[in-house]
Amino acid sequence: MLVPVFTLKLSHKILPRMVALGRYDGTHPCLAAATQAGKVFIHNPHARGQRTSTNRMVQSNQDSDISLLNINQAISCLASGVLNPQLGYDCLLVGTQTNLLAYDVYNNSDLFYREVSDGANAIVLGNLGDIPSPLAIIGGNCALQGFDYEGNDLFWTVTGDNVRSLALCDFDGDGKTELLVGSDDFDIRVFKQDEIVAEMSETETVTALNPMCGSRFGYALSNGTVGVYEKTNRYWRIKSKNQAISIHAFDLNSDGVSELITGWSNGKVDARNDRTGEVIFKDNFASSIAGVVEGDYRMDGSNQLICCSVDGEIRGYLPGGEEMKGNLMDTSAEQDMIRELSQKKQNLLLELRNYEESAKAELNTKKIDGQRGMIPANTQLQTALLVNLGSDNRSAHVELCISTTNDTIIRAVLIFAEGIFEGESHVVHPSPQNLSGCIRVPLTPAKDVPVDLHIKAFVGYRNSTQFHVFELTRQLPRFSMYALSSPDSSAEPLSFVNFTMNERPQRIIMWLNQSFLLPEDVEFQSVPFQVCFTSLRNAGQLCIKIKPGGEISINTDDIDLAGDIIQSMTSFLAIEDLQVEADFPAYFEELRKVLVKVDEHHAVNQRLTADMAEHSRLIRSMLLQAEDARCQGDMKIMKTHYIELYDLNRDLINQYKIRCNNHTELLNNLKAVNQAIQRAGQLRVGRPKAQVISACRDAIRSNNFHTLFRIMRVGAAPS
Amino acid sequence: MELSLARVDYLQVGVTAQKTMRLLPASGRKATQKVVVGDQDGVITCFGIKKGEAVPVFKTLPGQKIARLELGGALNTPQEKIFVATGSEVRGFTKRGKQFLSFETNLTESIKAMHISGADLFLCASYIYNHYCDCKDQHYYLSGDKINDVLCLPVHKVNCITPVLACQDRVLRVLQGSDLLYEVEVPGPPTVLALKNGNGGDSGEEIVYGTSDGKLGLTQITGTKPIPKCEVGNDKKRGGILCIDSFDIRGDGVKELLVGRDDGMLEIYNFQSADDLVLQYDHALPESITSIQGGCVGKDGYDEILVCTYSGWLTGLTTEPVHREGGSGEELKLSQEMQSKISSLRNELQHLQMKVLQEREKYQQSSQSSTAVSSVPAFNVNDKFTLNKDDASYSLILEVQTAIDNVLVQSDVPLDLLDVDKNSAVVSFSSCDSEPNSNFLLATYRCQANTTRLELKVRSIEGQYGTLQAYITPKIQPKTCQVHQYQIKPLSLHQKTHSIDHDRPMNTLMLKGQFSFAEIHSWVVFCLPEVPEKTPAGESITFYFQNTFLGTQLESTYRKGEGCFKSDNISTISILKDVLSKEATKRKINLNISYDINEESVRHTLKLIHPKLEYQQLLAKKVHLIDALRELQVHEGNVDFLLPKYRSILEEADQLLEEYKRQPAHLERLYGMITDLFIDKFKFKGTNVKSKVPLLLETLDGCDQDGLIAFFDAAA
Repeated sequence: MLVPVFTLKLSHKILPRMVALGRYDGTHPCLAAATQAGKVFIHNPHARGQRTSTNRMVQSNQDSDISLLNINQAISCLASGVLNPQLGYDCLLVGTQTNLLAYDVYNNSDLFYREVSDGANAIVLGNLGDIPSPLAIIGGNCALQGFDYEGNDLFWTVTGDNVRSLALCDFDGDGKTELLVGSDDFDIRVFKQDEIVAEMSETETVTALNPMCGSRFGYALSNGTVGVYEKTNRYWRIKSKNQAISIHAFDLNSDGVSELITGWSNGKVDARNDRTGEVIFKDNFASSIAGVVEGDYRMDGSNQLICCSVDGEIRGYLPGGEEMKGNLMDTSAEQDMIRELSQKKQNLLLELRNYEESAKAELNTKKIDGQRGMIPANTQLQTALLVNLGSDNRSAHVELCISTTNDTIIRAVLIFAEGIFEGESHVVHPSPQNLSGCIRVPLTPAKDVPVDLHIKAFVGYRNSTQFHVFELTRQLPRFSMYALSSPDSSAEPLSFVNFTMNERPQRIIMWLNQSFLLPEDVEFQSVPFQVCFTSLRNAGQLCIKIKPGGEISINTDDIDLAGDIIQSMTSFLAIEDLQVEADFPAYFEELRKVLVKVDEHHAVNQRLTADMAEHSRLIRSMLLQAEDARCQGDMKIMKTHYIELYDLNRDLINQYKIRCNNHTELLNNLKAVNQAIQRAGQLRVGRPKAQVISACRDAIRSNNFHTLFRIMRVGAAPS
Repeated sequence: MELSLARVDYLQVGVTAQKTMRLLPASGRKATQKVVVGDQDGVITCFGIKKGEAVPVFKTLPGQKIARLELGGALNTPQEKIFVATGSEVRGFTKRGKQFLSFETNLTESIKAMHISGADLFLCASYIYNHYCDCKDQHYYLSGDKINDVLCLPVHKVNCITPVLACQDRVLRVLQGSDLLYEVEVPGPPTVLALKNGNGGDSGEEIVYGTSDGKLGLTQITGTKPIPKCEVGNDKKRGGILCIDSFDIRGDGVKELLVGRDDGMLEIYNFQSADDLVLQYDHALPESITSIQGGCVGKDGYDEILVCTYSGWLTGLTTEPVHREGGSGEELKLSQEMQSKISSLRNELQHLQMKVLQEREKYQQSSQSSTAVSSVPAFNVNDKFTLNKDDASYSLILEVQTAIDNVLVQSDVPLDLLDVDKNSAVVSFSSCDSEPNSNFLLATYRCQANTTRLELKVRSIEGQYGTLQAYITPKIQPKTCQVHQYQIKPLSLHQKTHSIDHDRPMNTLMLKGQFSFAEIHSWVVFCLPEVPEKTPAGESITFYFQNTFLGTQLESTYRKGEGCFKSDNISTISILKDVLSKEATKRKINLNISYDINEESVRHTLKLIHPKLEYQQLLAKKVHLIDALRELQVHEGNVDFLLPKYRSILEEADQLLEEYKRQPAHLERLYGMITDLFIDKFKFKGTNVKSKVPLLLETLDGCDQDGLIAFFDAAA
């Protein structure tokens, strides 16, 4: 059994996910971790007694191995690594909601300190694609930004939602690394420089990503799922009721392939085979894991796996040697194997007996005994998906109708599906007097994604205590929340997207039949062709028209929907590049207002900062006056000064609150701007998409709103 | 010496009941013992171990399920005759498997517990105890509550037949002939009895008992009175005890106590001094341990503990080291043995798989026919629904012989489902439609692979009653599910006690009307947990209860045509009044209800609650401060500048957090109960004070005891 080679107990708390290991002097590995009160501590067990007390860093007075770095802000991400290859040692990067600090621990100096308005939720350090120098890439509110060692902003792009996790991985095997981005909208996107080359939809916020061997990478979600992808295919995933805090790739059994190491919120650490997900090692901590890193902490030439808990417990593990034969758990593998096989045997025997008994029961009884759960053998379960336009007391929804083919009843229905219910399942359990052979389940998916519904229905009779479980799977099409409507029923939306493609209209109709929930399949008659839909969510209209010459236009006021339709259609038709012409007057007007607000907020912010400086100057002088008065024994004047000081302090607090509000609003607006750029990109595919995004960025930098809207409309800057 | 035991799995039989596995005494030159086990398919399997392989000695044909298996024989000879209790019959087998006895008892119910001593046979059905000598009826006793186990003190030591019954109502009943000698009160419902050291100690009068709430005790049964020796609580919150044995596993000449629990924990205790039990060793198995015995089974010269689990696994924990030092040749042989075992199993599996595939096809085909019926396979579910005294919540334990796929939990009363740490299942709450389908709780537990045991915890609110249902779907084909129901009673947080404090100010509820003793008893069963369903013998009966959350009490005395309920908690009386009148109306019985409300009782109850409230409020406040104080500590480097009050919070931070985590929503529950008390107090006066509840809640935050009492007094 594998046991830790070292265990440390640090007296500092460690914030989850904020652990990094670096050789800040080029040789000695040190552990850096964020702790409470906006501090980062650096644990350096190799150089005792060297006291440094300048600038940011102070030696902790509790522990001589630990130095503390004061950030004075809540730390949101932490990383270390080589940023400047000429330096020859690692630097420490600390991100907060407003700033990014690159810090040279050895010289105790700042490399750069940049303001990042989109915040830094996640950080990764390394080479990206063709960019020669290593970058510190941070992910914030819908934006990604990469800085080199001088703080130059060499990489910028937008993504669909707030970034939660980042990783660098050679995704397509071309020898250059791609950027993996996990975000709040459950997506993992792969950026080849600033172009999205792949997108995988997951079922929850992606909280961690980690490269493994080759084009394989591990991921973790906020609902307790961890798994491994090879390119766009998922090898395996498991779900636990606990949350995965940190994942890391490490070859623990010395077989030459890294395992996925997961640190869980209940203090468990496990190592899983990257191909199968089988657990090969596990250990338990007393409290939640904060981070899992690797490094040669003992300086003996081999890397250890280092796990840190939030209570400051650190354990290091050496990979299992030859003699352990990859068997890291304490029970003998053979025993387990025998047990597993016997269990299988027992299950098969049980199944066999079940069939025998069933056959026997068939012979003996011709009368149906509902109590014991007998039902006619030809009972079938039928399902249908329909669009229900709703009534006075029910809003419009998609309806899943499940029914039996005879007099049996459905006691309960369990639907396991990801992303459309609050939990992972939805239960319908009618009361005894409402039991029937048919159950209608209203579904209202919040997002336009295809969903697999795994249905389990308990079928029996009213008095049954045992039920048959019918299991089946139905797929909910991607655009199921849109009901077919007649073309002239309402005014056509003003907004549109127009594009041309050389595809037979029949193929587009195929896509239509597959992606929408239609009462019957649409037949293609002739060009021009038109279909209209009404959204069940907000009654918005959607029209898709095919005109002669392969010209297609999509009319809807919902820019997200337009983007989704284009992405879905092009991936179905395998189109790599697509340029479009688009106009969304209402949305663009809103965006214009947002841009104006952003400017206003910036102005307010500047004014407030100036005020604050003024106030702090006042405070200093007032404090001096008050203390003077105290020294002179003039209590009355001292008191007045302190009262004034108190008032001033209150003002400052109030102003601080205003600043806070201003800042959050600014952030929201900036997010809206980033999202707008992302949406404009979503309307295009491939190269035009990347072009639109970078052109929009340039337009925003130069504050040229007119050009921005033009780019969004036609996809290129006027030249 | 540190005890190190290695686990070996021998064989799997069918699902087993409590105490159905024994080791036959060693015979002849051989030191290894044979194992005999009876399962719920009615099969008795006897086997020995040769070279790590289970070699069967005999196996009987399936029949009714086996409830108990004991060994017997003439006194002072090897006890090697096998007796099993199935249904209402006792059968005897020789160690070779020849049946020599089939004794059809005159019991109308099936046998639940059995003890054998020489020619004396002690049998218990649910409530009935019967003593037979040479299969002739000798004595009979009707117990007030369910009998879980029976034992007789060793006859050769105490010179008279002294049977002891372990009864569900937390007493051991000591009998003499057909009469009750005396009752021994024990801290929980006893589930198993065993003689100390297997012989009752030096006096032959000492017995060990285990309870369903995980407590263990030793007591001496003398001719006139019990002498309690020691008691081991259940601080680690482990499962209930199902089996106990004494065996000298350490080989030091002193017998240790082996204990098997229903959460799969195996424990070894020893008697530190004469009467002090100390835990020496524990080992976790994945499912309930139904039987346990120490002996020598696997290999000559190595003692081991043999356990039998719920799904029928016979597992040994042996002192034989797994990897012996040196002699790598031997190890190689060992692994070869294993390899051959594995490959033979694999072959067997392949064969079975083929057969199953054929059968599956046949089954599929049968579903085409319109006349055929399809039945669902029955599977056994071992369930337990009990009230935990410590945190006033219910735990529901479900155990199935095969892996569980998912469990749907549904309730028609508001219940809180709490997280259980050792559960690995992914829980998902579904939105509930209380109208029109009266669902207040809908949750699914999707189990991880190989989970056969699931533990849930629910918290109920007194006064709201209904049914909790669990739909259990195991991972067997054809897919099927079983529903199990559990009653949430109106006074769900009450537990039976042996005695109450009569000096407290009491409120009284009197019922009079044309009802029979059986009728009022059924109403009490409906209202309160732990009341035996059978109508008690005699003309009237008194039960005492305690509220596990608040510590208030209830005394209920009733007879034909009359019932009297006394409690110091006015809410308890109010709930009883509502439920009883509703039940009586349902049966169209005219009830004459009168009550006597003692103003003093409200003040008394408040005094009882307030310290708890204050403690919880303080705890919440302290926990709130911990993070801020920790930050100060980091900032300043030390804590010398802090007030002692705050320094102590920092020092105790971990315990405080632990405690806070252990009792979630404790404060809210207290608030709820005080509010109920407030409403109920005035309900009896005929005033509705619901509008004043927000004011009460405001008063509760940071209010002293007198203030609270004053508010209660003033609100009128």
